[in-house]
Amino acid sequence: MSEPAIRIAQMHKYYGTFHALKDINLEIAKGEKVVICGPSGSGKSTLIRCVNRLEEHQAGDIVVMGTPLDDNVDNIDEIRREAGMVFQNFNLFPHMTVLENCMLAPVLARRIERSEAENTAMQYLERVKIPEQAHKYPGELSGGQQQRVAIARALCMAPEIMLFDEPTSALDPEMISEVLDVMVGLAEEGMTMVCVTHEMGFARRVADRVIFMADGEIIEQGAPDQFFDNPQNERTKLFLSQIVSD
Amino acid sequence: MAKMFQPPKDSFQSRIKSRYFATRRDTIISIVFATFVAWVLWSLIGWALLNATFAPNAGDICREDLHGGACWSVVSTRWRIVLFGLYPFEEQWRSALACVVMVVVGVLSCLPWFWSAKRMAPLWVVGFAVFYILMRGGFFGLSEVTEQNWGGLSLTIFIFAGTSLLGMPLAIIFALLRRSELPWIARTMALVIDTIRSLPLLSIMFTFAIVLPFVLPDGWTGDKLYRVIVGYALFFACYQAEIIRGGMQSLPVGQEEAAKALGLGYWHRIGYIVLPQAFRNALPPTVNQFVITVKETSLVTIIGFFDVMASGRAASGTAEWNFAVIEMYVFVGLIFFVFVFSLSRYGAYLERRLGVGKR
Repeated sequence: MSEPAIRIAQMHKYYGTFHALKDINLEIAKGEKVVICGPSGSGKSTLIRCVNRLEEHQAGDIVVMGTPLDDNVDNIDEIRREAGMVFQNFNLFPHMTVLENCMLAPVLARRIERSEAENTAMQYLERVKIPEQAHKYPGELSGGQQQRVAIARALCMAPEIMLFDEPTSALDPEMISEVLDVMVGLAEEGMTMVCVTHEMGFARRVADRVIFMADGEIIEQGAPDQFFDNPQNERTKLFLSQIVSD
Repeated sequence: MAKMFQPPKDSFQSRIKSRYFATRRDTIISIVFATFVAWVLWSLIGWALLNATFAPNAGDICREDLHGGACWSVVSTRWRIVLFGLYPFEEQWRSALACVVMVVVGVLSCLPWFWSAKRMAPLWVVGFAVFYILMRGGFFGLSEVTEQNWGGLSLTIFIFAGTSLLGMPLAIIFALLRRSELPWIARTMALVIDTIRSLPLLSIMFTFAIVLPFVLPDGWTGDKLYRVIVGYALFFACYQAEIIRGGMQSLPVGQEEAAKALGLGYWHRIGYIVLPQAFRNALPPTVNQFVITVKETSLVTIIGFFDVMASGRAASGTAEWNFAVIEMYVFVGLIFFVFVFSLSRYGAYLERRLGVGKR
């Protein structure tokens, strides 16, 4: 079997004395789609933020696309270029147009020609169905449009992995589906995806594996059918019943 | 129907009436105040224009003047001292030209086209070089004029430009060190900034002008003028660093995280994401800082330089002209006003321009 896209072994994360992630062991294969869910404060966002070193872990190993995540800045930058991330609050750069947002990292971090970067950017903006907004500023777009730009911006770096940190949680209900549609399309093309989300419909539809976390631990994981229809752990059952009853 | 939703148009008269004459009390206040303003304006015009003496060398006429008008004669006679200070009379065209060069360079660097290091740096290097060659001379058959004899407006502009150009990069470096992830660097920088901010500017200038030559090895000291500019720049940098840091702190953390997640390195994140937004947030206090700096240049008089302010005082300080001190101060005040007011207007223009992408 080939090297997995992400390998996390015996990883621990502390905030001061608070033990935020406890002995995380996780392998995600290339092309695999994983959904991570769990109650708030369970460490799911922290987990994917550790993958690209937005949070530092204190013990254990993380290897992304064969590159070990250590204190070597070159390794960190390499991993960040290979793993695109989409945030809950979009985090577009408000002082740049949509197109400039998409071109910045390819030009600076990948040293791609401006004209080529622009072509790529327009291509991805068409993919997320907003090429006509290319010359607007993020502040002029709706939340759903901004999140689609954020996805396009991440894709412009041609990443091997996409990390989604609650991408639809800050959106008005009517905009959620336009973002999920883009993510489903991405999944169908074989992108390796790790999504922290509460959209269980999305999980059922595209996930190869669903992971349930609570109190900084992975409690249960499995294929969606098994996970949703026949959960083993009491906490998983409780969580699922709460989500469904909502 | 659509017509009904148009806001009703106020006529000029009805607007005046509703704003100033709505009630009896409003009417009385308006009339009293308008009379007062008219009286002040009329007196001012009478003093400054109608009853004033403009001709040069008319000190005697001014003194016998019974109308009590302004004696602009002091300006038309002695303006060269104000503008050029102690600079040798025959060479004053050089000082004037140097002044113009500096102002042109300053105005050019306000244009968005020059806003990149590639264009800004050569512009200022050339600007300072031309200024120095013109003022100092000693090259190209120009006679040498040492810094001690520089003065007036060109000295003021030179100190301001030198302070800003040295101070701004320094301020950025200070601000970045101040928020370093290494605690001992951040704390040391905070200590330095707070120490310098808690010292009076005068004491810093004295230190750089007079104490430093005792401490530094010979040949390291440079002219007093440059040491003072370095002192000014350091003082400016410490204040401006805190302004920039304030601008950085008002950025959502997500901005830097997004830049990190895209694989941008530290300098790219700072240069393209953090600083542009920090400066936009910190624009009003930054303009404020520049305005203060323009006016603080007058303090060089303390260590024996004749900037435009001190030159003005000197120009009206002779027995012949000492009755016209007010006119001279008004003239110097106008010079400062032109610079500071343009600076404020430019700041307002920047705010409008940079506001474009926001919301």
